[in-house]
Amino acid sequence: MPRFLAFIILALVSGFGALRADDAAPDSGRALLVAAVLAPAKDQPAAVRALVGVEDSAITPVLNAWRAGELYLVVLADGTRVPATLATAATHVPSAAPDQLVALSVATGSPIMDPASSATPAAPLFFAPKQLKPIDTTAPLRRAMRDVLEVAGVADPDPKIRRESIERLGQSRKLEHLPLLKARLNVEKVSVVRTALAESIAFIQLADAEESTRLAAIASLGDAHSLAAAARFKEALAATPAPSAAEAEAMRGALRQIEGHWQVVNFFGNLFRGLSAGSVLLLIALGLAITFGLMGVINMAHGELMVVGAYATFVTQNIFVSFFGAGSTAFHFYFIAALPVAFISAALVGLVIERGIIQFLYKRPLESLLATWGVSLALQQTFRLIFGPANVQINAPSWLQGGATVFDVAFAYNRLFVIGFAILVVLGVWLVLNRTPLGLLVRAVMQNRQMASCIGVRTTRVNMMTFAFGSGLAGLAGACLSQLGNVGPSMGQLHIIDAFMVVVSGGVGNVLGTVIAALGIGTVDQILQPVLGAVMGKILVLFAIILFLQWRPGGLFPTRSRSLD
Amino acid sequence: MLNKITKVIGAGAFALGAFASSALHAADTVKVGVLHSLSGTMAISETSLRDVLLFTFDEINAKGGVLGKKIEPVVVDGASNWPLFAEKAKQLLEQDKVAVTFGCWTSVSRKSVLPVYEQNNGLLFYPVQYEGEELSKNIFYTAEAVNQQATPAVDYLLNELGKKKFYLLGSDYVYPRTTNLVLKEYLASKGIPSANIKEVYTPFGHTDYQQIVAEIKQFAASGDACVVSTLNGDTNVPFFREFANAGLKSEDCPVMSFSVSEDEFRGLPTKDLVGHLGAWSYFMSIDTPANNEFKKNFFAWLEKSTVPGIEKKGRVTNSPMVLSYAGVYLWKAAVEKAGSFEVDKVREALYGTTFDGPGAKYIVQKNHHVTKNVYIGETLADGQFKVLKSYEGVYGEPFLKGTFK
Repeated sequence: MPRFLAFIILALVSGFGALRADDAAPDSGRALLVAAVLAPAKDQPAAVRALVGVEDSAITPVLNAWRAGELYLVVLADGTRVPATLATAATHVPSAAPDQLVALSVATGSPIMDPASSATPAAPLFFAPKQLKPIDTTAPLRRAMRDVLEVAGVADPDPKIRRESIERLGQSRKLEHLPLLKARLNVEKVSVVRTALAESIAFIQLADAEESTRLAAIASLGDAHSLAAAARFKEALAATPAPSAAEAEAMRGALRQIEGHWQVVNFFGNLFRGLSAGSVLLLIALGLAITFGLMGVINMAHGELMVVGAYATFVTQNIFVSFFGAGSTAFHFYFIAALPVAFISAALVGLVIERGIIQFLYKRPLESLLATWGVSLALQQTFRLIFGPANVQINAPSWLQGGATVFDVAFAYNRLFVIGFAILVVLGVWLVLNRTPLGLLVRAVMQNRQMASCIGVRTTRVNMMTFAFGSGLAGLAGACLSQLGNVGPSMGQLHIIDAFMVVVSGGVGNVLGTVIAALGIGTVDQILQPVLGAVMGKILVLFAIILFLQWRPGGLFPTRSRSLD
Repeated sequence: MLNKITKVIGAGAFALGAFASSALHAADTVKVGVLHSLSGTMAISETSLRDVLLFTFDEINAKGGVLGKKIEPVVVDGASNWPLFAEKAKQLLEQDKVAVTFGCWTSVSRKSVLPVYEQNNGLLFYPVQYEGEELSKNIFYTAEAVNQQATPAVDYLLNELGKKKFYLLGSDYVYPRTTNLVLKEYLASKGIPSANIKEVYTPFGHTDYQQIVAEIKQFAASGDACVVSTLNGDTNVPFFREFANAGLKSEDCPVMSFSVSEDEFRGLPTKDLVGHLGAWSYFMSIDTPANNEFKKNFFAWLEKSTVPGIEKKGRVTNSPMVLSYAGVYLWKAAVEKAGSFEVDKVREALYGTTFDGPGAKYIVQKNHHVTKNVYIGETLADGQFKVLKSYEGVYGEPFLKGTFK
């Protein structure tokens, strides 16, 4: 019946004009798609729903394109409106320029030809990027599309899409989807999809007329640790009329099972999130552990050195966009290129600060505090002058977007990257300090500047290199933060306190202390957050650090060194 | 003779600069205060309001001014510093003797200048959505009250999207806390059990939304949940990034934001926000002749503007800007109705004054708030809203605590 309705709409709206010479059969998926696109806005959701259950491989890609704003309306010279997607012309017409596009008609799937062309074979119509305006969608329309895509998705070749579609169908709790899901269970081979199928079937069966079916469904949902089911059970248990005694008992049992499972999941989730928050802290603090921890410079400009790294990432991104284009494959690797750029530019700025100001203040740490604070203000104003007062937009490369879910814990790729990167940086710092000649000199100078100088170490040079190295690390941290949060002139101020907090509680002058303090603070913060909220959690962490420093003023690993005494 | 002297002095002053030249015309101009932060953290948002106000004054002056007098703007910088706002307000009222002031963005800046306006019997127009619970005889609130933004938005989530679970997420300060207090009462009156409402706050500049997003994901597993966000400014960036990375989509769990307008989109990754919702009394995308005219004139003015340091590229219009614009025209209409610039007369004349502006019709109410349309919109990839539903002629009600039973 809905299909019939859509057909009337199709006839009324398009007058079959769009189908003209096309060979699509009247109620094939393609014809229905064209009808839906050309229908008046209020009829579009119904017209799209007419596609439910229609088997045509064209439906999914076209609807996905429409949802993503990549479906266009081509108006021909005679006024006919043809819905189409765009494709690179070169794949269809070998002679076309690389930036030319052709429109693939939704009705036929092939390029729309230029009616004015006299060439044989006829030439297609060419389009420039952004020449056509995408066809709008509304929330009801996208929901209709989702309904169609879910049913179509059950048989999708991609197991991930199959699983998502099946889960959504289960949550809709409509008995009408039961036969479709059961049929799929007979042919499905991938185990995760089978699990999802069983769960969705059970979810729908909660509304079954037979009590025995319902009980079995409750038990299997308990086994599947379904959170959606837990919410449903709680609702049912509180509702009037109450479910039968047997059902209520089964639901309570299932609830215990589900909640137990999620406690375990949240435990591991908290561990991961703590590790990730700790890695961010570690990256922020590592540079400071060198400039403040080892060299004893109270470097208030550390935050701004991170901002230098973040802006270096921004500039690298823009260079990649202007050289390769925003959509190109090369663009997605800009971030890899941005890391060394961020390191070097922050190191250079650090070098200038060291040569210009800090070298005169090694014996006067309090003056270094004031001087570097001044530097930080000057740098902030410089950022405002160059990049403007507003935040700049940094687009995450595709490989840092999204995430994977393992054992019901979501692992975001950018967080995983930060953890991995923090490990690499710590390893790198350890190698530089302990396994290179520079590291040996650094340690010698930091332990006793005069003595090192006496035995012929060029201490000014070592100071310069060490400060630049610490600054470069800050730049790396800035590059990483650009993938997590905002990049703006005052971004450094947000992180400077955290950086000092980590270095001080880890023990000044000890890189290992910084690592442990960062991970510890991150984990405690993440565990407290769900219980106390973000604000109270943070306050409590700061309070705990104060108490800790009362107990151990030197931090986790106090260093005994002449330069600090 | 005296006249001649003034003329000579006047001519000299004219050559010296604009400041003195305006003094020459003091008789046929009326001074109007503009009190916004042009530096500091709030400058990003408030500078746009200064721009639109200057545009409005030029537009009115080009048509002959108010009561035959040209508007002479006195622009002062509150510098995102709340005590400074009070000082600047004092200067505007006592030194410059302005007839009216348009200004303030944050509630705390408004609270800071309120006693100054009450002592000097001044007149202030306040244009930015706020939490209510305030009514001064010296302030007119063209801003959206809670029932002109938050409650219609929740109505939309309840009735149109059938949402049953609400995650109230906000920055930790007075506007989100008061709004959520009202929303909780409102939701309870609509039969939402308190177990289905979660209220969470994060500090300003918070960057780590992992834990909150993980919680939302479990909260939304049942498919009937939504997030009502009063997160402020750039904290939205890490939040929406984390939200998208956790695999949450607007179809499953839409986020309704009250503090994200077209102007904020300029600094946000709009790709992550597509499909999420917003509620304002104006969207730049509203397709009415009044709005198209407003946008055309404003952008043309920007193009030609000689205001130092004004941003000309990539500009947009948003609700606070349009409410500033409407405020000036409402004041102008009231002055003309009263035939005087005197605050007491203008106040009386303002009640019931109407203006057909870019966002529809504005009517000043007896309680100093403004009746206006409220729109629910959905974010598009180009940083614009698309109107999904409009609530027409919503009466502004500042005192909502305890009214929903």
